[in-house]
Amino acid sequence: MLETDRIQLHKLVEEALPELDMMIGWTESCDPLQTTPVFIRDAKLISKLTLGPFCSQNLAGYLVKPPALESVPKDAKPIGICVKGCDSRSLVALIQEKFISRDRVRIFGIPCRGTIDWRKVAQRVGLSDVKSATVEDDFLVIDASGTTHRIGLEDVLARKCLGCRYPNPIIQDVLVGQVATPRSSSLETTYRDVDALDNKPIEERLAFWQSELDRCIRCYACRNACPLCVCQDKCIAETREPRWLTQRVGLPEKFLFHFIHAMHLAGRCTGCGECERVCPMDIPVTLIKEKLNKIMEEMLGYSAGLDPDGVPPLLTFNPGETEI
Amino acid sequence: MAVKIFIATDRLDSVLEKLSTKIDLWIPALLKDDKSGPTGFVPYEPGKAVAFDRQTTMSLKKVLLPQVETLLRFEYRKEPEGAINSTLAVEDRREARPTLVFGARPCDVRALTTLDRVFSNGPYVDPYYTERRKNTLFATLVCRQTDAKCFCSSVGGGPADMEGSHLRIVRTDDGYIVEALTKEAQSLLDNLGDAPDASREKQAAEIVEEVSRRRVGDLDTEGSAEAFRKRFEQTDYWVQMVSQCLSCGVCTYVCPTCYCFSITDEAENLKGERLRSWDSCMFYHYTLEASGHNPRPTKLERYRNRVGHKFSYIPERYEGLLGCCGCGRCIRSCPVSIDIRQVVGHLKENTNE
Repeated sequence: MLETDRIQLHKLVEEALPELDMMIGWTESCDPLQTTPVFIRDAKLISKLTLGPFCSQNLAGYLVKPPALESVPKDAKPIGICVKGCDSRSLVALIQEKFISRDRVRIFGIPCRGTIDWRKVAQRVGLSDVKSATVEDDFLVIDASGTTHRIGLEDVLARKCLGCRYPNPIIQDVLVGQVATPRSSSLETTYRDVDALDNKPIEERLAFWQSELDRCIRCYACRNACPLCVCQDKCIAETREPRWLTQRVGLPEKFLFHFIHAMHLAGRCTGCGECERVCPMDIPVTLIKEKLNKIMEEMLGYSAGLDPDGVPPLLTFNPGETEI
Repeated sequence: MAVKIFIATDRLDSVLEKLSTKIDLWIPALLKDDKSGPTGFVPYEPGKAVAFDRQTTMSLKKVLLPQVETLLRFEYRKEPEGAINSTLAVEDRREARPTLVFGARPCDVRALTTLDRVFSNGPYVDPYYTERRKNTLFATLVCRQTDAKCFCSSVGGGPADMEGSHLRIVRTDDGYIVEALTKEAQSLLDNLGDAPDASREKQAAEIVEEVSRRRVGDLDTEGSAEAFRKRFEQTDYWVQMVSQCLSCGVCTYVCPTCYCFSITDEAENLKGERLRSWDSCMFYHYTLEASGHNPRPTKLERYRNRVGHKFSYIPERYEGLLGCCGCGRCIRSCPVSIDIRQVVGHLKENTNE
């Protein structure tokens, strides 16, 4: 089925490319468990495009953090982009905030059956040398250090995928493949990790975050991978004028940075999980944003990135607000 | 003085504990309660889970070049008469204690040759680094856990390379054989264990011989320095190679040879500290000038600099020495799977295009 989808994607991109400035998608990398983003202008490269559970990166951020500084001419052709369900929500949020205009993007929607978390694979097969990884039905088949492992896909999906309510793109110009079934339809399932933590005593929660955030090395991968972190080079975590944070790597600095990140995403975070996926120290930083997302849903009935015409609650003001 | 001892696997912790009474001891350890989770070097504590089964996520460079260190403390003191006058008191006390890193990898130790050239071998000698360097010994594992991202043999090292190490650790079926390679390291092994028996010694010798023959990685760096210069202004090449870069600092922070730092004064009222902290050439602020001009405004120039520094500028300045030890960490930890071997490997292809 994946192969059919891939062929369909190639065909669609081939047809569209003459009308596009470029196509952003995924291609295989040196790591069988992870793809790498690819930017295609040359039709010869279309065959390199891939899709499937290894395509974990959210490509929407590249639209606001382009490879090179270039001024976009008014009559510029649209940019083609592959998006999964969660990625499409980031795109919607960026459209809402007018960082990109809808007619500047040609959206290739990819219904998603979940993406693979290489860390969970490592927990099962060890961090040994993975030579190849393929998907066969509901299994991940891995050849590592001369042994073939067959692992249930559900067991190695990213945490965010397990509570996913929107596996299908919210907006798209074309859909590639069959519509996927959501794994979750309730707040309880989507926010079960938040609830599990919330049910612990406050001392335990504090200890949890202290021990998790203590590993942070302030590399800012979480920030840079976040499609909605749009301050980019002006981030207050690094500016010296004004100086908000010191260069120290103590817990206070780490806490402050991560909570600034989370607060700036309140009502904007679409739960794509990129911040957590890219963390070299395996800190569950998306969990902080999930907590805020839950509050947003419960108090204001708002979930980010679902309606291109909607206004994120913290970007507006309602004098008759009754919920807060 | 003991030259070679055997430590049974189940005795490792008690031996490390004994060792930690003789010298400040750092070990590779799990940083999270997850066997396959992130790892790094930490000061030894009894019972701490040692992570010997693979290369650490973070290199050992922080033992010699901490992510943040206080270079000096300062305080402005007002004169009692005439508040306009104040004197400045500066304190720059530093202390380097004898330290042993137990369980280093050959790639990490080799990386120090790059740091040494910059911090110790003139023309500017950095006393903070240099004093720690002089006081630190390395017990290095003969590395049998290389993976598809390792390429130490391509950049002058090798999985059994003991250059710069003071003790060699060979992991055998039932424990470790630790051998002093320098005189100063011998006394550390006193009273820690017995000499290995003949069969274990034979096994260790076979392992060392076998691992020494391994060639890890097939990157050819010959001519990269010149090829890089030709590529420097070919924007298309960098667009093609690194458009996916997120411009985060992961590659530079996990890298054992990246040494760039920032210096900031962190002051409150009249007192403060001058800090040195890791910086990253991937960051916008790294080259931001006071005028507001930034010579490396986008990630393309920044990534190009990283490649150029390691494979062109350092070799040109330091007689062919590379600024890369082939540990593969930047490849393993890159959020978007950029492979520096590809970027460097392609430098030489059709340079005139």
